[in-house]
Amino acid sequence: MSDPVTTVPHSIADYYQGIEQENRLRGYRSACGFVTATWGLVCPQCGRRDLAEVDLSGRGKVVGFTIQNVPSDRFVNDAPYAYVVVELDEGGRVTGWMPSARAEGSVSIGDRVRRVATGRPGVAFERELGPPTSG
Amino acid sequence: MRTHPWATEASVRETWVVGAATNRFGKMPETAREAASRVALEAIDASGLSPSDIDYTFVANCFGIAEHQAHLGPLINTALGIPDVPSCGVESACSSSSAGLHEAFVHVAGGFSDAVLVVGAEKLSHLDTLSATSYFAIGADYPFETRNGATFPGLYATLASAHKKRFGTTSEATGAVAVKNHWNAARNPHAHFQKELGLATYLASPVIASPFRLFDCCPFSDGASALVIAARETVRSTPNEPLIVRASARSGSIADMHDRPSLTGLPASRLAADKAFRQAKIERSQVDFLEVHDCFTIAELFALEDMGFFPAGDAAAAELDGSTAHDGKLPVNPSGGLKAKGHPVSATGAAQVVEVFEQFNHRAGGRQVPRVETALTHNVGATGGSCSVHIFGHR
Repeated sequence: MSDPVTTVPHSIADYYQGIEQENRLRGYRSACGFVTATWGLVCPQCGRRDLAEVDLSGRGKVVGFTIQNVPSDRFVNDAPYAYVVVELDEGGRVTGWMPSARAEGSVSIGDRVRRVATGRPGVAFERELGPPTSG
Repeated sequence: MRTHPWATEASVRETWVVGAATNRFGKMPETAREAASRVALEAIDASGLSPSDIDYTFVANCFGIAEHQAHLGPLINTALGIPDVPSCGVESACSSSSAGLHEAFVHVAGGFSDAVLVVGAEKLSHLDTLSATSYFAIGADYPFETRNGATFPGLYATLASAHKKRFGTTSEATGAVAVKNHWNAARNPHAHFQKELGLATYLASPVIASPFRLFDCCPFSDGASALVIAARETVRSTPNEPLIVRASARSGSIADMHDRPSLTGLPASRLAADKAFRQAKIERSQVDFLEVHDCFTIAELFALEDMGFFPAGDAAAAELDGSTAHDGKLPVNPSGGLKAKGHPVSATGAAQVVEVFEQFNHRAGGRQVPRVETALTHNVGATGGSCSVHIFGHR
């Protein structure tokens, strides 16, 4: 028998509103500890339905990145910029772009980053002050 | 989820690929509808059947919207003179036509159809690079990847950065993939790029999405490919050596790559390959050659490692020492792969099988591999949310 639904996760529209109007990054934490901002109804890792809504910190370290010189249409005036996968301090990973990381060497795996409000669609990050840490 | 290799093994009919055809990948003057119909008829002719023998048609055409055209199946069947034959569109991003092959296999092996046509076609060359890049990007997760700045080269480049960091994968290794696949494509009359590539040219090409240079990336290609699948018991004679479908396996994985435990491979490839080898009841060492999903050079390394042909991080050495060349210990992508043969998204999975068909019939010319008893095709949808693995054997 399936678990009862104890929490109805936010909608994708809520996620957009959080980023663009409320300066917050909405996500969920599953009973197994899986954390993500990606919308869902059932945890893809453990199959449980009791997903707790959380505000994600937006702080963590880069675990994968690229400097994009050829963007898609939404970012046509922004290239080059970095696209990053960030492992959050509280667990889980999210993606985003780094408007200030425009050249090779401007971001590395292991760098500490934090989410910034840009007034633009999409999740944006910037490097935290201080020397980069090794990954 | 069912784990038995075949759902009801006793009732699975032996299923063959009896016909296969593709056109020249690159820039097509005609529409996907026209190209799909032409290669479909060529595949039917190659099978020794006639259009009226076809019981069902599966069609893959992800980006039909770019030509203002959906519901391609009835148009193709009408063009083939079989308007009453049922058809169905299959969409699984870059693995669409291998998904169509799997559905055809299920129909034939399960006894619901005796002969099924699978056709995949794509036309994007009338779009500019920005538009084509944007079309490709919709195969990713729009709110959580694309809207955050991802493109397809960017997503695979991000995976590549993690692989390079963990395993020390060098540009020379990914360059070896590009050089080898261009060499093969130069000997494939159906390939988009029919020109060899030197490592120096690869290394000097512009960076698209670091660490990817231009020559790490497959091209935007138009193209069409088709297969005819039939039950052995219904085939009286075939003008070509058929492929026996030893395994037809698919898998999924968590759709967004960043939500998976690791960024250094595609878990769906491992799952689909494990399932396929259980179905075929053979070992990796028995595979003579592979056609794998090398949309970017790093993806060929992922495929070889994820499917268990090499330990994680070790495929680069095999690329560098020539093991994966057409005459090496384990030839990989003798067609030139997506990287150099081209990647007309919905035609790609079927085209991989066309290459196996040509190799098994010893028509591959300068790229002919030495052993053609067992071959494997591997076709990925997006960043691995979908994956198909097929294993083919000789009579």
